[in-house]
Amino acid sequence: MNVTTNSDKLVSLSVMGQIATPSFPGLPAEPYRLASDGTPFLLPTYGSIVYNVSVGDSAFGWLADCIHPSVSINLADDNGNRGLRVLSCIGNTAVVMSGDAKGSKGVVTGKSGRFSEHVIVHFPKAVREKMAIGDKIVVRAKGIGMQLAEHEDIYLKGCSPELLESLKPQGKEGKLEIPVVASVPPHLLGAGAGLDSEGGSVHIQTTDKTEVQKAGLDKLKLGDIVALENYDSRYSHGFLRGAVSIGVIGQGDSPRAGYGPGITVFMTSGEGGIVPKITEGVNLKSLLKLEA
Amino acid sequence: MLRTNADQLVEIAAVGQLSQPSFRRPEYIPDNDGHARVLPGMHGMLYNIRVGDPAFFWAGDHVEPGASIAHKNLENDFALHYLTCIGNRAVVTSGEAKGAEGVVTGEHARILVDFDPEVGEFLCPGDSIQIRAKGRGLMLSDYPHIQLKKCSPELIESLPLEAVNDFKIRVPVTMELPIEAMGSGAELNSEYVDQDLMTGDKALMAELGLDQMRLGDLVAIRNADHRYGRSYRTSAVSIALCIHGDSVMTGHGPGILTLMTCEEDAIEWQIDKDANIANYLNIRELV
Repeated sequence: MNVTTNSDKLVSLSVMGQIATPSFPGLPAEPYRLASDGTPFLLPTYGSIVYNVSVGDSAFGWLADCIHPSVSINLADDNGNRGLRVLSCIGNTAVVMSGDAKGSKGVVTGKSGRFSEHVIVHFPKAVREKMAIGDKIVVRAKGIGMQLAEHEDIYLKGCSPELLESLKPQGKEGKLEIPVVASVPPHLLGAGAGLDSEGGSVHIQTTDKTEVQKAGLDKLKLGDIVALENYDSRYSHGFLRGAVSIGVIGQGDSPRAGYGPGITVFMTSGEGGIVPKITEGVNLKSLLKLEA
Repeated sequence: MLRTNADQLVEIAAVGQLSQPSFRRPEYIPDNDGHARVLPGMHGMLYNIRVGDPAFFWAGDHVEPGASIAHKNLENDFALHYLTCIGNRAVVTSGEAKGAEGVVTGEHARILVDFDPEVGEFLCPGDSIQIRAKGRGLMLSDYPHIQLKKCSPELIESLPLEAVNDFKIRVPVTMELPIEAMGSGAELNSEYVDQDLMTGDKALMAELGLDQMRLGDLVAIRNADHRYGRSYRTSAVSIALCIHGDSVMTGHGPGILTLMTCEEDAIEWQIDKDANIANYLNIRELV
């Protein structure tokens, strides 16, 4: 890494969430959602403890709708939940504060957007076995306010100093080279456009499987680092030629129109100051040394 | 004229009240460059902006032409949203303007109703406006593979639609929108409100002439499947209506409401600068 940050000045603070309870709409008991071709489906979706899906696994193929790997946390109080979502940074340490898994440590790996609004935390599978819905988890939040001295056009969003360092970004001729496994063209970016870029996600839309395959996105794994082409995430998310954003695949594919694997954006330049370098295997599992 | 099943449709009343403008605290919204802005545009009665006026230009955000109505009870409000169709008649049922008639021209977070400007002067937030809702279930009898959304029979009858062959129809539109610039609203089902054209790239708007869009314009989007949500699908086509004005916010811009959509290439279009509902529904002369 040959960039200078202000990480010595960052404030580190506690922010709490609780393991989210899964929910479905009530009576008259029509639990179905619609796939992009109009067929109804009933599948597990975001929230809760997911025992068998982890960062490093495929983002595709699960019989689920935008599944969050490992553990999802939120807070019933809206403002408190907003604090949790904005302040938690990818790579921050999370500690279980109540229940049988008390004292276990995990790592923040994603945030989900409008209608779910969770923070996604990786815990080893053995820890998940001991957890209960409602357990209190404290994120030791650090990263908001971080800037790159030589790259004023680059905005960091929920990026921990640990994540930045692990990516070994290389400054070259005023631009910053970031390794990514793939680059998502703007016509395949769906839900999340126009929404909050301080705590949500943008989804790859996977209705057209051929286009997804053509763009080399069909083999993406949860935790993969990707680029968003012509996408400006400085003040909410939107199309802008020349802009580049970088994010992590936080949640899995979806049958719904406009949806698919979710990307938590943690870096953006409105002026093309980020150069994505296609590199195999750039994934949070190895970057942050996540325990299986 | 293309055949429809309009004679089978039910006509049912739905109601909303003229909305009161409101702001979140603090009142600022960030524009594309991160500057804090305070702008009017949504809710209430816009005295000086109607269907047929420019969608860009205004010192406003998401301007909603005419009267914006909503129901305070969430489920009643959803009924108003799901039952109301573009071109439906509206009648003021309380207040100083009681008895005045208008026409539905859009659906944003509120239902948008055009009234003659002199009616607007008598409207007060809270006044009830009743919609004679008709259009749910409407189909083009010979083109069942083309879905209609929120089209009243009056709107469909007013459009100069042409049969191309047994599979395709032709529709007049003012312009084609690039799908990579379709933004906010992708997270919602397409039975609810609109999807914004993302206008942060001002140079692109000018290059393609999209900044000439007017409120009420018909537009086409290639590779847009809006049947059960809004997503990219090669060879799908959607025809839509510009219902609200531009926005300063990233990922936002004029609101594009789906009127017709098909999975396969069953809709052609021809560019016609008069393809605006102000014209088709005889609301006003286009400027």
